Amino acid sequence: MDAVIEVDGLTRRYRSTTALDAVSVRFERDVIHGLLGRNGAGKTTLMSTVTAQEWPTSGEVRVFGQHPHENEQVLPRICFVREEQQYLDDARASHAFAAAAMAFPRWDQEFAERLAVEFKVPEKTRIKKMSRGQRSAVGVIIGLASRAEVTFFDEPYMGLDAVARQLFYDRLLADYAEHPRTIVLSSHLIDEIAHLIEHVVLLDEGRVVLDEPVEELRDRAVTLVGRADAVGELTAGRTVLQHEGMGRTSRTTVLGGLDAGERRRAAELDLDLLPVSLQQLVVHLTSQRERHEQQERSTS
Amino acid sequence: MSAETRPSTTSSITQQAVHRSPYARVPAAFRLHLVNRQIIWIPLIVFGGAWALSLGIGLWAQRLDGGPGPGDPVYTGSGQAALWCLAFMAAYSGSHTFPFALALSFSRRVYLLGTLLVFVLIAICYGIVFGAAAAVEQATDGLGLHTYSHALPFLVADGIWVAGLAAAVVALMLMLIGFGASMLYRRFGVLVFWLVLLVLTVLIVVAVLLTVQTVGWDGLWGWFDRQTALSAAGWSGLVAVVMAGVDYGLIRRATA
Repeated sequence: MDAVIEVDGLTRRYRSTTALDAVSVRFERDVIHGLLGRNGAGKTTLMSTVTAQEWPTSGEVRVFGQHPHENEQVLPRICFVREEQQYLDDARASHAFAAAAMAFPRWDQEFAERLAVEFKVPEKTRIKKMSRGQRSAVGVIIGLASRAEVTFFDEPYMGLDAVARQLFYDRLLADYAEHPRTIVLSSHLIDEIAHLIEHVVLLDEGRVVLDEPVEELRDRAVTLVGRADAVGELTAGRTVLQHEGMGRTSRTTVLGGLDAGERRRAAELDLDLLPVSLQQLVVHLTSQRERHEQQERSTS
Repeated sequence: MSAETRPSTTSSITQQAVHRSPYARVPAAFRLHLVNRQIIWIPLIVFGGAWALSLGIGLWAQRLDGGPGPGDPVYTGSGQAALWCLAFMAAYSGSHTFPFALALSFSRRVYLLGTLLVFVLIAICYGIVFGAAAAVEQATDGLGLHTYSHALPFLVADGIWVAGLAAAVVALMLMLIGFGASMLYRRFGVLVFWLVLLVLTVLIVVAVLLTVQTVGWDGLWGWFDRQTALSAAGWSGLVAVVMAGVDYGLIRRATA
């Protein structure tokens, strides 16, 4: 594995707001990454900075080993599909595709036309008159057909119905299988994209909270359900992410997996061990961080 | 299809990049402005419309005077309408193509070079159309109506081609100013935009007052009076070159 994007100590401030706070992260070649986090976590700022649309207050960004800002050796190899992309005024989808074809060296026009039919993008409607979902489809098509070596999708599904979203996921995976490239997918629909992504970067308040392969995340947390005293026995001394008490039964999610001995003990105690979904883990990790900060504020 | 059950992949498209010229995509940035051709058609419509309107006013004025006669010709300023339209269209073009240009991963330098090429092309076309209109007016005595909107004495004194050249360079200057204004707004927001306009106005007023204090009003007007279409083209060209640099300075850190 080698990194195509290297971010070191990246800080981005807007007056009194710190959007990114000393972020260091790497995005590996030919891997689909999920860039997750709450609204305002810094996802779009990170993507904008890596694609040279923004610039760091401090720190360094390298793409393909070079600084991307004003770098025509790097930029044609990057495509960034924004959540609310502004297109040329009065342009139709075909105009946007024609412009993209001129800009991206690996553009596949036949693929773009096929996707336009599949996503039912109207041919004669101006983009600004399209529905939000149709506009999102135009962005998704540009992102896929660009075949850019690094492609960012920032909340690409806005307004897309469930069928269109599934179509996007299917076409993304199929095209990635044929033409592997580095894809960074920012999304709030975490469970929907969980099966797509191989690596997760979780941002919270401008900091990296999690940066791990999805496979390793499976052992990152576990939920125990059963008698409250039995659950308490196995969760004692562990970091509790979430706890729900229901009479004599409790449901507790703790950080870290269980070893073989603990699993045996859980079976003896008749406890159910449930895997924690990626979405649950993200929610737990971000809310746990908030709780910690609140506690620190109240004690100081 | 989960990450682990994906089909085996073909070779990666992420290979060692072929070194390309940093200006290889300038033609693409140029064509971005011409995807829809409003920047050409709208100024042409304004040009023709303003000319027709000035002719109509000339005809009406002469009817009041009892029809075309050997009196003084009527000179109108309608030839400049298309200039202001071009300045507006340049600002509009900047504000509407720039965010999409960033989405297409153009560097700001390449985008600006493509934009400058479009402006130069349009300015040349405008100069040719303006010169041709001036020639038609000269040949037909203001289209038979004794009314001149392009063949103004100041502009055609050194020949039609000088009038066309002056029109082209002034058009280029105004487009670069319009584009710069839109980039100023995009980079710094509306408050700074108006503050800069205010400061520039104050600077111009102070410069005029200092000049008048030194050489008097007669000296100032005398300087303007001595200018020709060719020198106006030269001054406009100078401003255009400065504005091209200012535009790059503004766009370097402008965001979508």
